[in-house]
Amino acid sequence: MSRPDVREPAAPTPSDPGPAAPGRRRTTARAGISAATRREQARLGALLVAPAVVVMAVFLVFPMLNAIYYVFVDFDGLDPNPPWVGLANFAEMFGDPDVWAAFGNNLVWIVGGTVAPLVLGLGLALLLWGVRRGSAVYRVAFFLPYVLPPVAVGVVWGWIYAPTRGWLNGVLEAVGLDGLTRGWLGDPSTALYAVLATAVWTAVGFVFVIILSALRNVDVDQVDAALLDGANWWQRLRYVVLPQIMPVFLMVAAITLIGGFAVFDLIFVMTGGGPAGASDVLGTLAYSNAFQLSRISYGTTLALAITVLAVPFAIWLDRLQSRLARERIGA
Amino acid sequence: MTRTKKAYAPGRAGIGRHLALGGLALLTLFPVILVLSTTLKTSQDVRVNPFGLFSSFSLENLRTAWTVGGFDGYLLNSILLSVPSTVLVVVLSTMAGYAFARLPFPGRTPAFYLVVLGLLVPFFTYMVPLYFQLRSMRLLDSLVGVNLVLASTQLAFGAWFMRAFFTDLPTEIEQAARIDGASEWQIFSRIMLPLVTSGMGALTVFTFLQNWNNFLVPLLYMPGGGYRPLTTGLYLFVGGRSVDIGPLAAGTLITILPVILLFVVLQRQVTQGLISGAVKG
Repeated sequence: MSRPDVREPAAPTPSDPGPAAPGRRRTTARAGISAATRREQARLGALLVAPAVVVMAVFLVFPMLNAIYYVFVDFDGLDPNPPWVGLANFAEMFGDPDVWAAFGNNLVWIVGGTVAPLVLGLGLALLLWGVRRGSAVYRVAFFLPYVLPPVAVGVVWGWIYAPTRGWLNGVLEAVGLDGLTRGWLGDPSTALYAVLATAVWTAVGFVFVIILSALRNVDVDQVDAALLDGANWWQRLRYVVLPQIMPVFLMVAAITLIGGFAVFDLIFVMTGGGPAGASDVLGTLAYSNAFQLSRISYGTTLALAITVLAVPFAIWLDRLQSRLARERIGA
Repeated sequence: MTRTKKAYAPGRAGIGRHLALGGLALLTLFPVILVLSTTLKTSQDVRVNPFGLFSSFSLENLRTAWTVGGFDGYLLNSILLSVPSTVLVVVLSTMAGYAFARLPFPGRTPAFYLVVLGLLVPFFTYMVPLYFQLRSMRLLDSLVGVNLVLASTQLAFGAWFMRAFFTDLPTEIEQAARIDGASEWQIFSRIMLPLVTSGMGALTVFTFLQNWNNFLVPLLYMPGGGYRPLTTGLYLFVGGRSVDIGPLAAGTLITILPVILLFVVLQRQVTQGLISGAVKG
C-alpha cells in the first residue's frame, strides 16, 4: 500500500524514481507523445478503469457512506426513516463495558497474533533456508493452513478443543496432565487464546513464505565472512541476516498487525464471541448487535470504530513502505 | 564448523534438519490428517477409537455428507459463486491495472484512492448497510448479487496487483508499437496483455481461493438459502447437528479438498500472488 500515484502526467520528471521498486520505468509521461495520442490514452484509461470503479462504488463506497449515516441515527432494520440521534451511539460505545472488554481482546489479538506468527514464521524460514531436497514439500506443508477456508479450520480445531473426545484433552490425559483438561472453547479463561492459537496456525504460513523469499536475496558471502570472523549463530542472525531482510520483515509485521484489527471470521466460526462475551472482539460484537439484536446503528458504530482505529497503522505502513522504497533505490 | 555454517548458507541439509522439518510439517498438517482419517473411519470406529487412525476403511461418511448433507449441491454452488466472480475480478483488475500503470487519464488520482480504500476497509465494516442495500436492489439470494459482492471485495487487491505487473514492462515496446501505427487499444490488447499472463494466472488462482473460501458473504446475503456454497453449508451443518463427527469430517473434506488440490498444483502462482501483493506494490 504505497502512496497513490499523484504525479502529473503532463509534467515529466524523469529523475523522480517514483514510489516503487528500483528499475521501474516511468511509463506515463514521455516527451514526444502527440496531443492526439494523449487524448486517446486518456479516453482508453478512463474506459478501462470505469467498470472496476462502478462495481466498487456500488458495493463498497455506497454501503460505507450508508454506514456513516447509520451511526448518527437509530436504525432497527425496519423503519425507513430512522430517528436522528447525533452522537448517542458513540456515547453509548464509550460507556459500554462490553466494548472495552472486546477492545481489550482486540489488543491481545493484535499483539499475540502479530508476535507469534512473526517469530514462528521467521524460525521456519531460517530452518528451511538453504535446504534443497524436499524444500517444495515443506513449503507446501507450512503454507497450506493459510489457504484453507476459515470455516473448515474452525470446524477441525473445534474437534481438537472438544471437551470430551477432543484430541487436545486426549493428549493431556495420555501424558498424565488430567488436571489441565477442559472444554477449551467453552471455558471463559481459555476461549480467546484457543482461537488465537488457531489463528496463529494459519498465519505462520503467510509470514514464512514471504520471509523465505526475502532470504533468497540475502548475500550469503557476508554470512560466510562473519562466520570466518568467529561470529556465532545468534550474532550472524542479529547483525548479518536480519538487517538484510528487515524491510520485508517490517512489511510483514505491519500487514499482520493491521490484520489483527480486522479479525472476525475465525472467532465468529469457533465461539461466536462466547462464552458470555469472553472471546468477543469489536467485529463479533458489531455482528451480534446488528444481526441478532437488531441494533443496527450501534453495531455499525462498533464496526466503524475498528476501521478508524486501524487508520493510523495503515498510514504508518504507507510511510514505512515509501521510506523503504527510497532506501532500496538509494542502495 | 561446517555444521553451524549449514544453518544459514545454502547447501545440503543434514539429517537432523530434515527430521526437524519433517516433524514440524507433520505437526502443521495434523488437523488435515485428522479430517482425512476421521472421514475414512466407520462411525463405529469413530466412537470406539476417536484418537487413532482409521482401522477399517469406509466411504460411508462421504456418502452421507454427499446425499443427506446436501454437499453435492453445495459443491455446484461453490463453483457457480467462485468462477464468475473470479473472472470478473481478473478481467476488471487487468483493465484497471493497465490504466493505472500506463495511461494518464482524468480522475486517475481519485480512482486510485478508491483502490486504497478498498485495500484498507475490512468487510464487516459495511456488511450491515450492504445487506439493506442488496435487499432494496433485489439482489439478496441471487447468484448475480453475491458474485458481484465477492468480486467487489477482491477488486482493490486485483487492480493493485496488476498495476505492479504492468508498471514493470519496458517502455520501448510500447513506443515501437506506437511508431508502427498501433492504436492505444491495440498496444494494450495485443502487446501488453500477452506479457502479463503470468500475473493474471497468479491473480486468478489467488482470487479463486479467496472466493471459494469466503463464507460470510453467501451466509449473509443468501438468507433464503438459495445457492449456498460449501463453506456456508458446512457452517450450517455444524450448527444444526449432534455429535456425529464422521459425516461432519466428510463435509469438511469435501470443502477443503479442492483448495488443497489447487494449491498443491499451483502453489507457485499462489505464493507469487501473495508476495507480489504484500511486498511488490
